[in-house]
Amino acid sequence: MAHQAHAYHMVDPSPWPLTGAIAALLMTSGLAVWFHFHSTTLMILGTILLLLTMFQWWRDVVREGTFQGHHTPPVQKGLRYGMILFITSEVFFFLGFFWAFYHSSLAPTPELGGCWPPTGITTLDPFEVPLLNTAVLLASGVTVTWAHHSIMEGERKQAIQSLTLTIALGFYFTFLQAMEYYEAPFTIADGVYGSTFFVATGFHGLHVIIGSMFLAVCLLRQIHFHFTSEHHFGFEAAAWYWHFVDVVWLFLYISIYWWGS
Amino acid sequence: APPSGQRGNSFLTLEGREVKVKMAARLLIRSAVRAATTCRAAPVPALTRGMAAGGIPTDEEQATGMERIVMKAMKEGADPYSMMKPKEYAGSKADPHLVPSITNKRIVGCVCEEDNTAVVWFWLHDGEAQRCPSCGSHYKLVAHELPH
Repeated sequence: MAHQAHAYHMVDPSPWPLTGAIAALLMTSGLAVWFHFHSTTLMILGTILLLLTMFQWWRDVVREGTFQGHHTPPVQKGLRYGMILFITSEVFFFLGFFWAFYHSSLAPTPELGGCWPPTGITTLDPFEVPLLNTAVLLASGVTVTWAHHSIMEGERKQAIQSLTLTIALGFYFTFLQAMEYYEAPFTIADGVYGSTFFVATGFHGLHVIIGSMFLAVCLLRQIHFHFTSEHHFGFEAAAWYWHFVDVVWLFLYISIYWWGS
Repeated sequence: APPSGQRGNSFLTLEGREVKVKMAARLLIRSAVRAATTCRAAPVPALTRGMAAGGIPTDEEQATGMERIVMKAMKEGADPYSMMKPKEYAGSKADPHLVPSITNKRIVGCVCEEDNTAVVWFWLHDGEAQRCPSCGSHYKLVAHELPH
């Protein structure tokens, strides 16, 4: 153990920031190569490197915290601040797409027919699958809270069951949304309606998948006894992220699916 | 009150309704009394470890490394890694500021008066208490052992 007179964690040198940066370089230049030269090799290579980086970096964080005990109270506080700041940045990310939607829909141009939804667009009925999706995500918010209380109260079986249920609900949402995308009477190329719809809901869907993966990792860790009843910040961070995803959906549903229909 | 079995039509008589309300009120009061007088403290399980208790370990069982050292120290009220604000002293000769140090000297920064922007920095050495060159507060170095 390092001889330190403070409770912070001076992290050991690590190659993952470098591999992550290289992955970002390969992915972006690979994207340009794909556009101009019809080859996806560089981009795929970059993506593989990104996935390897994420896996190994976060595995190191788990090792440092759970197995080596470096996550003292001040360190945990820093991790909490970090997650909150990250989610805040994601809020601003989505704010932009909502801005775009409202910009186009509050004052529809003559090209659209001066109305919203634009002429020729058959919107999805907000009281069909989108309403089911809303119920699914709200229910998953309940089950993730159940999982948290189970962990705090030391109930292993319930924690595993409720966390599994949360992930299952997340997958169900993704499945339903994929079906909707396939069956939708409009595409991303259908004017500004299509653009705002699919970019906003598309990024949301991506975040649902990311959140589900985060929760799945937590499930694996819970099964392997990583979490204690007092210290389980990885799970809390996943739960915060999941609630954020749920709230974004609620705004999407109200704005685009309901008001915008 | 009319007997419960007899119901010629599909709605209760006034007397029947009154009986049901009285019974409901009694039950409500009984459960309220029970809720108010019940012991709220979580019962301490006889078997308290890991799989025997509920299957999720506690920090007491599983914390390791620095986290465990800090946890143990906090339980005893100690603060070996200076996580908390420094203790407050009068700064007089009788009650000098006690400055913990892992060696025989430590830098002290004295903010003589609240909101002063110029901090007075000086080395505090082991031995007799020293005084801040600006405000004269007394500072005394005390030996401080790190848990590891």
